[in-house]
Amino acid sequence: MAKPELQRTKTNTKKMKEHDTSLKGTLASVFLLGFFIIFSWVSVYFLFLHRL
Amino acid sequence: MHMHKYEKIWLTFGIACLFVFLTVIGVSAFAEGKQPPSCLTTIDPEKVDQTPPFNKPGLVKTGDNEYQLNIVVSAFAFTPNQIEIPKGAKVTINVTSKDVIHGFEVAGTNINMMVEPGYINTITKTFNQTGEYTILCNEYCGAGHHMMTGRIKVVE
Repeated sequence: MAKPELQRTKTNTKKMKEHDTSLKGTLASVFLLGFFIIFSWVSVYFLFLHRL
Repeated sequence: MHMHKYEKIWLTFGIACLFVFLTVIGVSAFAEGKQPPSCLTTIDPEKVDQTPPFNKPGLVKTGDNEYQLNIVVSAFAFTPNQIEIPKGAKVTINVTSKDVIHGFEVAGTNINMMVEPGYINTITKTFNQTGEYTILCNEYCGAGHHMMTGRIKVVE
């Protein structure tokens, strides 16, 4: 049966939120994808310039 | 609005990259004149054979080391399809279609155009190396599409 949560206070929830948001992995994958896009863009651009 | 520190970093990085890409393309297009093949000239596709310069397709000398190459594309041929170009020539290629949409690609170069009936596509290229280039149609245009080829020979 569902119980009303009387124990949890406002400060408690705020603390938990800060702990949950570690974005290290996201940062790494975003930059990995970013560098891949930059590499592809630059190679295609230089291929175009080379063939001019 | 609360934003994570890392989120700010990658958003700034992404937006900066977007500006760099657009600036490079903008400068090379508008300051250095690296434009895509023009499609602003129109022609009546039913009267291609009577309209100059396509009434006499082929290579025409227009100046000192400057040439004009007029090619008519139709199902399923390039007219002409055997072209000899002297080395170092600056060639302005005009292409138009008599029937459906075709492709005009010279393999291994930047020449790659979609040839639409009713429009004249133009691109300029200087052939600095001797050799043979294959012309291909790269827009599916019908049963004989795979047989549409031509050859450009760059000779001394």
